[in-house]
Amino acid sequence: MNKILFFAHLKDEVGEENIRIDVAGRTVAEVKELLAAEYNLQKLDSAMTAINEEFASNENVIEAGDEVAFIPPVSGG
Amino acid sequence: MYERYSRQMLFAPIGKNGQEKLRAKHVLMIGAGALGSSNGEILTRAGVGKLTIVDRDYVEASNLQRQQLYTEEDVLQKLPKAVAAERRLRAINSDVELCAVVGDATPEMLDELVKGVDLILDATDNFETRMALNDIAHKYQIPWIYGACVGSFGMSFTIIPGKTPCLNCLLKSLPVQGMTCDTVGIIAPTVQMVVAHQTAEALKILVEDWEALRHSFVSFDLWRNQYSSMKMSRAKDESCLSCGSERTYPYLSRENLMKSEVLCGRDTVQIRPSKEGEVDLNELAAHLSSIHYEVKGNPYLLSIEMEANRIVIFKDGRALIHGTKDLAQARSIYQRLLG
Repeated sequence: MNKILFFAHLKDEVGEENIRIDVAGRTVAEVKELLAAEYNLQKLDSAMTAINEEFASNENVIEAGDEVAFIPPVSGG
Repeated sequence: MYERYSRQMLFAPIGKNGQEKLRAKHVLMIGAGALGSSNGEILTRAGVGKLTIVDRDYVEASNLQRQQLYTEEDVLQKLPKAVAAERRLRAINSDVELCAVVGDATPEMLDELVKGVDLILDATDNFETRMALNDIAHKYQIPWIYGACVGSFGMSFTIIPGKTPCLNCLLKSLPVQGMTCDTVGIIAPTVQMVVAHQTAEALKILVEDWEALRHSFVSFDLWRNQYSSMKMSRAKDESCLSCGSERTYPYLSRENLMKSEVLCGRDTVQIRPSKEGEVDLNELAAHLSSIHYEVKGNPYLLSIEMEANRIVIFKDGRALIHGTKDLAQARSIYQRLLG
């Protein structure tokens, strides 16, 4: 099982701060695609991903028990 | 002369030695909005040697809630932000050499301005300028500090060329249509929290306490009570075109830049975004209407009425900004709406 955390507007769009789902063995890109479809998330593909609080790229594979966070980059200033 | 800095010098990691280092340093700050106001004030009070401020906008009433250097008088006079910031900062600390540049931070301008600069502070409001700034920083090996915020959400990361990953390693490409302060709003505490992270890192760099730098990417949401610190050791991409071994500095080249031109004989500027991509007009229209912009449209375009301008946005991201011949102003309006 994996815990998935959502930051900023992603949290509002999903309606939860975190969800639990089993995505072990899948790549970050695959999980983004899955969640984008499930929750109708427009800009998940440009969000940065952390696995266990460490930066992860789209090719990284998620393991059982990993905590995955999606952090959308923002541009305001 | 050092009396005014006595409390800062009492802070052991800075000391008199650090204060002298700070006084010998030149910081280039891109943007004088909310992040720029607050970053500029902290560094000026801290006694940095020289601060160069670049901004293309003028002060408006909607800035006053968070852009702490500006006053109602600046709004009445429609002063350029760089000029108003310089005046206020000079009144705060006449010891600091201040240089105001009114204009768009294009790659050409950045190339001129970075000479002799020890640190670049990011206080811009768009990714296009940040990516250009990232390339320039790597071309000349100058540290820079990314900071950004929207709503109650903010983030910061310190980029040291040759040591840390760069912004292009993290984003891989220019994000399309981000959220901006003009579309989803911003509260002042978010600005201050981003600036607290940026200026603490800036002081460490300026007094050369490299060991003390924070290596993580910080992001937080002050309203939803979230805080995250992401380790970045795996983020450096050796094939990155901005900082890798075969770098080309893609965001300094003309084809990757937003194109803007004054349309002949009309009080209108045309903007073409650097990245081709469909804009979801329905989503944009629904959002802008919900925050009280007057929006009209059809399946091909949206027309948005603003105080002095009318903006027409086409599906491919191209836009016409009516009511101005000023390229910098038009680009500013575009990026405020579309990020």
